[in-house]
Amino acid sequence: MTEKRTVHVNGVDIAYVDEGEGDPVVLLHGFPDSSYLWRHQIPALVEGGFRVIAPDLRGFGDSGKPQDVESYGMQTIVNDVVALTMHLGIRRPHIVGHDWGAAIAWMYAFLMPRRIDHLAVLSVGHPGVFSTPSLEQRAASWYMLLYQFPGVSEELLRRNGWRLLKEIFGRDGDYDRYLRDLARPGALTAGLNWYRANRSPAAELRPARPFPPVLAPTLGVWGAGDRALLEEGMAASGKYVKGPWRYERVEDAGHWLPLDAPEQVNKLLLGFLGTERPAHEERRPRRRL
Amino acid sequence: MTERAEQPDVVIVGGGISGASAACRLVAGGLSVVLLEKQDAYRDLVRGEWLAPWGIREAQRLGVDDCFSAGGAWEIREWMTWDESVSDDEVEAVDMTRFIPGIGGPMSFPHHAVCDLMTEQAVAGGARIVMDAAKIAVTAGPRPVVTYQTAEGAHELRPRLVIGATGRGNTVGRQVGITMRNSMHHWGGGMMAEGLDGWPPDVQAMGTEGDVMFMVFPQGYGRARLYLNFPTVNKHRYRGPGGVERFLAAFRLDCLPDQGKAVTEASPAGPLSVWPSVSSVPEGPPLAEGVVLIGDEAGNADTVLGTGLSCALRDSRIVCEILLSTADWSPRAFDPYVEERSFRLDRLAFGASIISRLHVEFGPAALERRRRVRRLMARNFAAQVTGLLNMVAPEDVPEFGFSEFFAERLFRETA
Repeated sequence: MTEKRTVHVNGVDIAYVDEGEGDPVVLLHGFPDSSYLWRHQIPALVEGGFRVIAPDLRGFGDSGKPQDVESYGMQTIVNDVVALTMHLGIRRPHIVGHDWGAAIAWMYAFLMPRRIDHLAVLSVGHPGVFSTPSLEQRAASWYMLLYQFPGVSEELLRRNGWRLLKEIFGRDGDYDRYLRDLARPGALTAGLNWYRANRSPAAELRPARPFPPVLAPTLGVWGAGDRALLEEGMAASGKYVKGPWRYERVEDAGHWLPLDAPEQVNKLLLGFLGTERPAHEERRPRRRL
Repeated sequence: MTERAEQPDVVIVGGGISGASAACRLVAGGLSVVLLEKQDAYRDLVRGEWLAPWGIREAQRLGVDDCFSAGGAWEIREWMTWDESVSDDEVEAVDMTRFIPGIGGPMSFPHHAVCDLMTEQAVAGGARIVMDAAKIAVTAGPRPVVTYQTAEGAHELRPRLVIGATGRGNTVGRQVGITMRNSMHHWGGGMMAEGLDGWPPDVQAMGTEGDVMFMVFPQGYGRARLYLNFPTVNKHRYRGPGGVERFLAAFRLDCLPDQGKAVTEASPAGPLSVWPSVSSVPEGPPLAEGVVLIGDEAGNADTVLGTGLSCALRDSRIVCEILLSTADWSPRAFDPYVEERSFRLDRLAFGASIISRLHVEFGPAALERRRRVRRLMARNFAAQVTGLLNMVAPEDVPEFGFSEFFAERLFRETA
């Protein structure tokens, strides 16, 4: 993999991988990953004729890690992605997201309908579904409550050799790397701040406006072994998509689809990105009357 | 010499736990450090992989505790007393998580992975590390000289101070004339195993049955470090073809649940190593002009006690504190270290001799002795004082546990 580059956008240093040539695809990772999550997808997409941009989202990997909760609002992070793509001169990328990256991707899609081509979301469904979770989903999201207490959550997760964190992740994802990443200065608080800014009980009480529809052609993928996000979240997301909607369930994968089922994810992405008619074709200059 | 000698503040010889942790602390304190390691890359050499709660506290003070955690350290919470002298209904679980406030149970971890992360941290802090350093020679003096060879040729360093941390090899100590009094009580062997899915991950066990003393220290994810201690008479029993199989099969013991099936059906996940279990006490202070020894190289108690790494980190912490707090690095600046270490090693060596006499001797008389000591301990809780040495720092163990009177009483009533 080529070296990461770093650019200062939207008040924070964003490190990113930029590889290949062709239609741009932006890959957005989740918690507690980095662009490294996409190591199986990047070469496949480059081979498939895409230019791949995979940032370390703020708070993760080699990117900046502001320590205040307010820096991690979803809109701010969507703006990071907008600013990064603008900096790279990219107007209408395909957006692919996993976990928190999928949540960002959904929001990007309905806030920036003219700046997206295709949308592919892994594991996490539309925020509209997640705003009225079933009791079962609330139970599966128990850790989001644990992550809410500044200082206390960090101490609970870190103490006794990060025992609780190790138990929460088990052998999922890049479990043997997460601790190394989260042990970097400020990384744990930064990662938890994503949950504090967007998944606090108080956030649930905030008045919400109806979501604008997602116009982009959208592919939702969910792994049958996902213990954190239930199928209802993805399967019921179609009602928020006005463009073509496709749902794929991968049987032999858990939450970390890009790692658990790299071949299938590559195949799904290559078979989807750029295949549908996008919602907003490139605008031609308007004819004067 | 092919180059002008580099003059760092400190050269550390040996990149194990003590040397690498000292490198981390010293660069964090602003000193220039060169660390010499003889391996070209860290690999499993079957070293100590158990850190007592008081050792964890030392790691925290050195700022290297995350290297342990990220390198795979696993908190162990209970200690089961499976042993041929303990009947099934008497087996106890000792909760190890509450001996030191704010610190949980002891940790078991892959030694080489932790060394790797520590050197990474030291390098990030500005240390220079030389892997594959051969023919390291140290000459003591007010401006000590260190020479070594790499693939590029011969090199010379002239630091203000050399820290010798070469472990039981005593490479630096021997070169600067520090002599050791060695004794050997038994032999030991160790191997990493995986697939111990039936072994409770929170539980460590030590016990004696027949002619082996076994230890199982889980490292999470179905992995565990296994050790055996056994008498010198049959010391080659795990060598040669089939040694690994014999080693695993030795855990087929009646005192273990399911006769040790969880272990005997596990798979090797690293080399098997066998060694004479030697303890070494230095005959004088572990230093010379311009040279200080730390870790096992400065003297050690029998491995059966499991305090080697905790000691190494304590050494590292105290020596670093001295180096970072004073400009005087002459031998007398290390008086507090020499004094504390000698006190500590006395206590550990005393405790280790009790433990090895009690648990690493075999045959009917030794079994009877263990039974009687257990009865004594059940009647009088204070008689378990030696067991505290694994959990809390030696200075925090009540003094009566280190009197000849106590030892004699323990063994007289029971011999």
